[in-house]
Amino acid sequence: MSRHPLKGTHALAGVGLSRFGKVWGTSCLGFTLEACKNAIEDCGIPRDEIDGCLVSMPAIMGEQHGWATRIAAHLGLEPRLACTMDMGGATPIGMIQTAALYIEAGMANAVICCFGMQNNPQGIMPQLFGSQFAIPYGDIGAITFMGHVARRQMHLYGYTGPQYGEIASAFREHASRNPSAQKREPFTVEDHQRSPYIVEPLRLLDCCLVTDGGGAVIVTSLERARDLKQPAVVIAGAGQEHGAEMIFPAPQRNQAPSGAGAARAAFGMAGVLPHDVDVALLYDGFTPLVMHELEAFGFAKHGEVGPWVATGALRLGGELPTNTHGGLLSEGHLFGVGHITEGMRQIRRSAGERQVQDAEVVFVTGFGGAPHEAPPTLSYTTLVLTQDR
Amino acid sequence: MFTIDKPLPSPTEDTEGYWDATREGKLVVSTCASCAHRFLPPAKICPKCLSSEVSFQPVSGRGRVFSWIVVHRPQHPAFLEDAPYNVVIVELDEGPRMHGRLVPETDLSAVSVGLPVEVTYQKINDQITLPMFKAATGT
Ligand SMILES: [Zn+2]
Repeated sequence: MSRHPLKGTHALAGVGLSRFGKVWGTSCLGFTLEACKNAIEDCGIPRDEIDGCLVSMPAIMGEQHGWATRIAAHLGLEPRLACTMDMGGATPIGMIQTAALYIEAGMANAVICCFGMQNNPQGIMPQLFGSQFAIPYGDIGAITFMGHVARRQMHLYGYTGPQYGEIASAFREHASRNPSAQKREPFTVEDHQRSPYIVEPLRLLDCCLVTDGGGAVIVTSLERARDLKQPAVVIAGAGQEHGAEMIFPAPQRNQAPSGAGAARAAFGMAGVLPHDVDVALLYDGFTPLVMHELEAFGFAKHGEVGPWVATGALRLGGELPTNTHGGLLSEGHLFGVGHITEGMRQIRRSAGERQVQDAEVVFVTGFGGAPHEAPPTLSYTTLVLTQDR
Repeated sequence: MFTIDKPLPSPTEDTEGYWDATREGKLVVSTCASCAHRFLPPAKICPKCLSSEVSFQPVSGRGRVFSWIVVHRPQHPAFLEDAPYNVVIVELDEGPRMHGRLVPETDLSAVSVGLPVEVTYQKINDQITLPMFKAATGT
């Protein structure tokens, strides 16, 4: 079998986060620039070498033509390629994949991929997320969609509230070992069951945090990354899937759960299987999404995710240490850049008290699209990261 | 009850036929003359076969609860007065699924996935009438 041209040829060379949490007074632009500066310093790449700039479309800022070029200008760059991208929460990994393609095609040498988010932007009316066939009933945003997903899972597979609680509790325990996490106080499954309903069957502790902040990742060829300051984090596999759905069936291409194709592509490229994964960093806007991903990506059998999770499988020391940084649920909603950053830390052996010994294969996912639309349109992006050897 | 402050649909060329029908107490779905596919939300091109021979055709208004949620913390201030309120996704007997609410008289403790329901209507203003659902009678 011929080797995929993107397998093991490119690397995540540098990474940076801005301050994050409830941060008042700093704009989307400010967070983005702060993160980019940190990423450049992290790997020590000469700024002039960065000739590609990909930026995630600011979610609640409305129309922002040329946003990527504007970010580049603020960084003093005149890139050969600049593009604002949008797949919702699947964007950061999507940008990394696009960067690798640019580099592979000889159209860029080093690409910075970044985002920033200010939830209370001044002078801008946040846009209402949803469909005109759902909003009038008060079904608004991703949270109601995820409530329906949980209801369907409970109906079809008998998953229970405490099983969802175990996911949230495990990630919080991990966050307690992450000094920069937004929420660090551990809670039990019983605490989860006492937390109030937000959108029943979802409780407060099933839902991600609201986070202001930014993140940036610098992608180069593996060869270039080897000469920079940090150990190279190798992109071994990558995949995407768009359009399949959990609730409203789209035209069915196959019977696999939505998102399965994105994992299959990444594992196939990397030449690994789900059971080879040492650390999973799954996009976790809400606990039912994690339930869904664990099955779709091949970590648990159809309809058996809840009981498997309840064995403590996702905890450090468990079968599949998952979201070792705390995830969107406890570290903060950094749009998935927190997941990528944690994957890089695990590969670089810099994850501190939550380091997974000898982690060799790290699987990172993004999820987005427009789950709040009718019908929900979903995007999945995946990466397999490995050590350089 | 709904008030004028709540976000309401703005009918477009693609959707006005749907809202025209609900105003007259009828439920219609986009129906493809080429492949017989019935779908919501409305569009003028069939997502199955890309035919433009799509028109609004009436359906029975009967279906089953596919999913339901109870919103305790609304994402929009106009819905605070309703909370806690339910939202259902109903799978119509003819196939398409749609959002709605079970009427306030509904005993939510008796609701489960699969519950037979039928459409009813709530007039919001002269332009918009929203389909709602109630437990089916005389099945
Ligand atoms: Zn058709």
